[in-house]
Amino acid sequence: MTDTDTDASPPTSNSSRVLIIVAAMVAVLLVGAAGGMLLAMSRSNDVTPGPDSVDVGFAQDMRVHHLQAVTMAGIERDRTDDGELRRLAFDIESTQLAQASEMAGWLTVWGRQSLPDPGAGHMEWMSQGGTHEHTDALGQTTTGAVDRMPGMATSQELDQLRAATGRELDVLFLQLMLRHHQGGLQMAEYGAQHASAGYVRNLAKKIVSSQVSEVNLLTDMLTRRGAQPLPPA
Amino acid sequence: MASGTKSKGTTKPKSKNGAKGRSRSSAGRPTRPKPWGTIAAVLAVVLLAGGVFTYAFLEINEKEQWVASEENPDPSENIDGVKREKYESGQHVTGAQRVAYDQSPPFGGPHDQAWAACSGVVYDTAVRTENMVHSLEHGSVWIAYNPDQVKGGDLDKLKGKVEGQPYMMMSPWPGLDKPISLQSWGHQLKLDKADDTRIDEFIRSLRENQYQNPEPGGRCDVDGTGFDPANPPPFVAEPPGDDAVKMDGTGAVDESAQEMQGQQVPPPATEGTAPPASEQPPAASGTGAPPPSQ
Repeated sequence: MTDTDTDASPPTSNSSRVLIIVAAMVAVLLVGAAGGMLLAMSRSNDVTPGPDSVDVGFAQDMRVHHLQAVTMAGIERDRTDDGELRRLAFDIESTQLAQASEMAGWLTVWGRQSLPDPGAGHMEWMSQGGTHEHTDALGQTTTGAVDRMPGMATSQELDQLRAATGRELDVLFLQLMLRHHQGGLQMAEYGAQHASAGYVRNLAKKIVSSQVSEVNLLTDMLTRRGAQPLPPA
Repeated sequence: MASGTKSKGTTKPKSKNGAKGRSRSSAGRPTRPKPWGTIAAVLAVVLLAGGVFTYAFLEINEKEQWVASEENPDPSENIDGVKREKYESGQHVTGAQRVAYDQSPPFGGPHDQAWAACSGVVYDTAVRTENMVHSLEHGSVWIAYNPDQVKGGDLDKLKGKVEGQPYMMMSPWPGLDKPISLQSWGHQLKLDKADDTRIDEFIRSLRENQYQNPEPGGRCDVDGTGFDPANPPPFVAEPPGDDAVKMDGTGAVDESAQEMQGQQVPPPATEGTAPPASEQPPAASGTGAPPPSQ
């Protein structure tokens, strides 16, 4: 730059060089900008995780997972005759609803969809470009998207829960919630390790620790009622 | 960087005393022939860079153009065929009342106090409209379909977007004038095919949209509200009578809506037209009332 300025030759002779320099600069800028934009899609900087990041995938899918726990706990809280279970259901319902709302807030601030793409499946953000495996609700291992996340109840199971009463209701609730908690651990553990934002990893860790201890509690409550956990499938 | 250096290199050999300074070499030769090769090379590099940039821009734009934000409060404006209406929110009717809706299926207006469950629920039978409209107010998207036209694989395709997905619900709408109709509060899109890409675009744009929905974040669960998703109040095909609540809220229960007619809360039970929603026969399960089985 400097020697072009100081040498100050007749402008006409320089025009093609100026053109080349400007064009080269434009090209470099464009490629650089494109590279940066593409990089930002899968990586996350401190401020805004990209649309394909672990943070966004975790928040979207964990919202779906949590909101079903909220639905199941709401049914139990509303209909059980057992004070101990009503208290537990209320605890799960309010905790997971608050966490789902917190994650919705992150997604809004990040400028991302608050829920996963319709019909696109879940958990693909856990595959690390096809090298990391996870399972679906039926225990099938994959590196791609799954239709139903582990632990998620089917619509039929939810209908059964709504139709049940008394001991049958309590046992089915405990069974479904136990399986739901265990199924969510895979995602929470992955999020706790791989999310880029500290507050995302922190919530994921809290989900892991609280659900591990609740898994023990739910198992214990099932045993006391003389019932068995559901198979994972 | 590399591209810049390269194009410079091709120019250089043409200058007489190339070993010395570059600017001096070109100094005295204003009539030098145009370096077409260089120009072409530069052009190619710029075009390539432009292509890369455009690809990156479009890729990102596709991901982000459907996300609602302060700058883009209604991403559905980019979707062809969306019908829009402005509706007053918060006007409630009782389970015995009906609303004279202005659209079919409706996508806003007065509605039942009890919302329909919208936590990823697929209703196999048509559900009372007044309950469905309330769920739209909470930010859900309702997929209605003509049960005579949408079946088999197409039906499954639609169910796959709804089942277990928060803020989604789906039900047949007998006599629908198109195979499929999507509703969000104040928005409707009628479609012919279940594989139309606009279905996903509509859902992305409007589900839980904080700018278009009057009560975003409202619950989709219905426990204790009197609405039973296993036994929902049925759709009523006959057009509502003269006693129906008007679209402007005339006759609605809501405090904010009416001063003059607000008193007639328990209206004379309209004979035969609408079965009272919240008082269904306790078939599968009781809701708020004493449980039927002991």
